[in-house]
Amino acid sequence: MIHLKNIEKVYRTDTVETLALNNITLQIEKGEFLSIMGPSGCGKSTLLNIMGLLDEPTKGQINLDTQEISDFSDKKLSRFRNQKIGFIFQSYHLINDLPVLDNVELPLLYRDVSSAERRRLAAEALEKVGLANRMKHYPSQLSGGQKQRVAIARAIVGQPEIILADEPTGNLDSAMGNEIMEILENLNRADRTTIVMVTHDENMARRTHRLVRLFDGSLVSSNTFVN
Amino acid sequence: MLNHIFKLIWKKKKSNFLMMLEIFVSFLILFAVWSLSVYTYRNYVTPAGLSTDRVWAVYLQFNTDSDSLRRINCDLVSQYLKGNRGIESFAFSSSNLPFGFSTMNNQFEYGGKSVMSDNLAVSADYPSVLGIQMLSGRWFTAADTVGSGKPVVITRRLAAELFGKEEPIGKRISTDRRVVGVVDYFRHKSSFQADENALFEPMNIWDNDLLVKVAPGTDAEFEAQLARSIQKLGKDWTVEIQHLDNMKSTQDKTILIPILILFGVCGFLVFNVGLGLFGVLFQNISRRRGEIGIRRAVGATKKQIMRYFISETLVIATFGVALGVFFAVQIPLLNVFDVEGSVYFWGIVLATLSIYGIAVLCAFYPSRQAAVIYPAVALHEE
Repeated sequence: MIHLKNIEKVYRTDTVETLALNNITLQIEKGEFLSIMGPSGCGKSTLLNIMGLLDEPTKGQINLDTQEISDFSDKKLSRFRNQKIGFIFQSYHLINDLPVLDNVELPLLYRDVSSAERRRLAAEALEKVGLANRMKHYPSQLSGGQKQRVAIARAIVGQPEIILADEPTGNLDSAMGNEIMEILENLNRADRTTIVMVTHDENMARRTHRLVRLFDGSLVSSNTFVN
Repeated sequence: MLNHIFKLIWKKKKSNFLMMLEIFVSFLILFAVWSLSVYTYRNYVTPAGLSTDRVWAVYLQFNTDSDSLRRINCDLVSQYLKGNRGIESFAFSSSNLPFGFSTMNNQFEYGGKSVMSDNLAVSADYPSVLGIQMLSGRWFTAADTVGSGKPVVITRRLAAELFGKEEPIGKRISTDRRVVGVVDYFRHKSSFQADENALFEPMNIWDNDLLVKVAPGTDAEFEAQLARSIQKLGKDWTVEIQHLDNMKSTQDKTILIPILILFGVCGFLVFNVGLGLFGVLFQNISRRRGEIGIRRAVGATKKQIMRYFISETLVIATFGVALGVFFAVQIPLLNVFDVEGSVYFWGIVLATLSIYGIAVLCAFYPSRQAAVIYPAVALHEE
């Protein structure tokens, strides 16, 4: 599903050159639930952004769903992100000026979907995460856990094959974190959605199929769990 | 998408209201400027009805109070001019010569209606000097003055105001005047003068200013010689010659310069509004980098981001324009100025187009900046 080959990412300023990712090769299969761990600044989010086509590697090759994406135009990359990938962020990234339902239907705005169909799909996604009764609320009226569930609804509304979650439970207490993790596990089990999750929480990571560890931009270990 | 934009605009109504107000005020300024421009341009392209080519105004002062002496002096000048090969034609006129600073007007009545019009007392050769074409009827002659009622020639506009669709020739106005001819236009105050009413009647004994049409190729030396020769005809006469072309140009400048100054001031105001709009949009986009990042992450292309922000600005502009149009249409509806409704129509159309042009121009660069933000960077900053 996702194949990264010899990925390198260097951030350059006028005076400093920082190697964020060093020769990463990683294969993620369809339906796999993978977690990425490592100390802060080791390149976890950078790796996730590269997988999600939000950032470009300095070197290396990315294959998503058997397609080599390095020559993709902005339009094609955007379409790919829109149709194949869903994102969940630690800080939710909801648009505070829009009600929950509008936030969820955001990915569908960039598809050829009628307004009524958008509403229907968004409502369905909110129902899946247990927030059907909060559709008209604004993000500021929700708790952290609820916000993250809205973000999950937004990530799944377009029925993507891949979900990339950057510390989805990082801002939540353990109970809320558990709830979110259950939703993700359920998505992975029921829809065979491929999930890649960056986390700092060892317990959360152990609930996934495989854990890869990064250190100073390099892949240092990979453990498979039987769940 | 429009519904989505409306929701976001409504949610930020406080800050958007200020932007809308700015656009509304700019619209009113632009509406005034464009209406004035359209009005001025229309006047400019309206036929003048007279030609100033090779026509000179000769201001004569005989320094006498005697009417009979004045008549003799005029005859003397006429005889001299008839014998001068450099003069093609000439006519006497009241002091309100074309493009001069003197005006004379009167109320004229017909069938209970009273209409204000410019009033010019001129001799029979006046149309041949100024190349005035008759629309119907004829110009008055010396023979007309002996009949009952003063023969007068009026402009088409005055005829329409006094008689409507009735035939004007032969009609009597203000009891003592009889219409013998109609001319199309007579815009004699400046190139930008609106089509106004004018009435020509035979000259009076005290009307001794002169218009002369000179032969082609006459020069400054001829002008000086003409002034000297006329002066020599009598004792203590004062003669001043001015070219009608120059007089017209002076009048045009008197009107055009204040308009240009007004345009400059309005242009400066609108430029400042544009700068303000640009600043607000730029700041707005800087504050919404996270939103841009998430839109890009969920599949918006660079073009869609750019279009989105430009559309948002245009929707806000539409509210400002709609409010502006509401106030602008009150001017023709209440007939505040005596100007054709189509002038305001074009004023509204051009002001609307200008506002949208300014909005797109101001939104273009900030929106482009928004479009090129790297999604990972925008999301990271948030």
